[in-house]
Amino acid sequence: MHIDPLGEVMGRSTGRIGLLLLCLMVGLALFAPMLTQYSPSQRTDASPFSPPSKDHPLGTNDARQDIWTRLIYGARTSLSVAVGVALLSGLISATIGSTSAIFGGLYDRFWMRVVDAMLAIPAVIIVILVATYLQPNLMLMIVLISAMSWPGGARVVRAQTLSLKERMHVSAAKTFGAGWRHILSRHILPDLGPVLLAIMIQDARAAVFMEAGLSFLGIADPSMISWGKMMQYARVFTYLDVWKWWLLPTGIALSITLVGLSLIGFSLETALDPRLKDRREA
Amino acid sequence: MSMDDLSRGSGGWIDYTIARAIEWPGKAFSLLCKGGILANYIIAILIILSLNFLLPRMMPGDPLQAIYGDEALVAMTPQLEADLIHRFGLDLSIDQQFIAYLSALAHGDLGYSYYYGESVSQVILAFLPWTILLAGSAMMISTAIGLLLGMESGYRRGQPLDKLLLAGVIFLSGLPDFFIGILLLIVFGVSWRVLPLSGALTPYGDLHGTALALDLLRHLAAPLAALVIVRMTSTYLLTRNSMIATLGERYIVTARGKGCSERRIQYMHAGRNSLLPVVTSVGLHLPNIVTGALFVEIVFAYPGVGWLLYNSILSRDYPLIQGILLMVTLSVLTVNMAVDLAYRRLDPRVGNAH
Repeated sequence: MHIDPLGEVMGRSTGRIGLLLLCLMVGLALFAPMLTQYSPSQRTDASPFSPPSKDHPLGTNDARQDIWTRLIYGARTSLSVAVGVALLSGLISATIGSTSAIFGGLYDRFWMRVVDAMLAIPAVIIVILVATYLQPNLMLMIVLISAMSWPGGARVVRAQTLSLKERMHVSAAKTFGAGWRHILSRHILPDLGPVLLAIMIQDARAAVFMEAGLSFLGIADPSMISWGKMMQYARVFTYLDVWKWWLLPTGIALSITLVGLSLIGFSLETALDPRLKDRREA
Repeated sequence: MSMDDLSRGSGGWIDYTIARAIEWPGKAFSLLCKGGILANYIIAILIILSLNFLLPRMMPGDPLQAIYGDEALVAMTPQLEADLIHRFGLDLSIDQQFIAYLSALAHGDLGYSYYYGESVSQVILAFLPWTILLAGSAMMISTAIGLLLGMESGYRRGQPLDKLLLAGVIFLSGLPDFFIGILLLIVFGVSWRVLPLSGALTPYGDLHGTALALDLLRHLAAPLAALVIVRMTSTYLLTRNSMIATLGERYIVTARGKGCSERRIQYMHAGRNSLLPVVTSVGLHLPNIVTGALFVEIVFAYPGVGWLLYNSILSRDYPLIQGILLMVTLSVLTVNMAVDLAYRRLDPRVGNAH
């Protein structure tokens, strides 16, 4: 199982393109204040719906806000949700999956029952239902999406831990009297790394999509600057020419982020699935 | 595509099993209990019902407003308010309220929509056929396209056609379906004006026969295409993987050895056997197709349940929102349970996997 995740991703063209796209969005998000002279909610002096110009690379929207500024600040929201959900959901998956595999018995059966039941529920629908009432802000949205997305990962981690548990070096450590805490942290978690990374990338992708979807439906915190909400507002004005610099760039930014994460996830999954491993294929 | 798709690697003939299951409901039931599947679905349904019940009652402020939405307040009179409080048992303890809620549901009472002035189930039923049409046809077409492309691609692994298809599909699978919908809307509806911008039929068109069917297809084309483009990707990837795994089996070598033609090997030996996991995965993709349809309907103002959901969110028509989400979840759960049941019955390996 000794897989070098970064090496696998960089060794494939899909992985390299994915990383490039993701780095582009991360760059925009990190350096957002340096890339624009406006703040995202500021009403500029330009007229509403002004076309792209030197001052406004993507023009302005109906509220005279600079679209480019809102676009790059929107990247911050999307990527924060992605990172937050990947960490939180990954942590829950890893904890519940690995402890279930190690302890077994009633504890294991309880959690696997919960996992199976939750996997049967369409997550998007539950998130929509809860969000309708709570109008989640950034933190709440991360918690809400994580609460629905951990079970799939937990099952994969459990399966992986079960197979790792039987390895020679774990038996050797047990013979020397190592406790479960030691075995978990020294022998199992390090080998779980690549699997966990693949799970987290998937969670992140689903989270970006869900955040955009919720904002597109208009059930996220209205003060959040989000691509989904920009698309919801811009959609109404398709009869004007503004879609060219309002709707289209926003959708493309969302797509770049999602495609980037998909490509990375895909190259990792191929590396992890032994059936797909083939010496011939790069 | 997900790790889950890949791990559910074995399956069997769904139709056959469903037929068997219907034939012997008693057997099917005992099988369900044995696999613990029934328990999973009961827990799932309980989670959803509890959320539906608790969320509005936990909201700060007047629970009546959270249960009935803003629209109800417009129509509110002291008499109506007293009626509603009594009807929902809001003066009762929380556990008695839950029982009242469950017994209302058991009678098919999903509540009353003050926005539409009709019972929630009536409103949903009026919008449901369009969603079934959209999601159903999207499911069939995307599965067919995904299967065909996947078989071609898996067989030609590493060749230019495979690389092109794979790259294209991975790219498409990353795109959000509602944005593809928006793109199609802009290109075909706004710029070229060859397809209608919204709706499912021309209003007051008074069309009959072929003209009606054509009008329906013209309205269906763009939302359907948006869904198919995104949703065929998971079937494609699964078929391709399955094809590659099957081509590595020994009986393929045997087939080659005894001189079968390549076409026969591709379709009869490898293709047919890599079909099984794909057939069983169709049900698993249903939630994605349904939620995809909800979003695509909003983009095209297609008068299905998704469009209804969007409007009920805008008007804060809570009973309707709850009713829609409950109904969608229950139908997805039912189909999933049927699929779960089907492939455990067919392929004992799945049932013993835990």
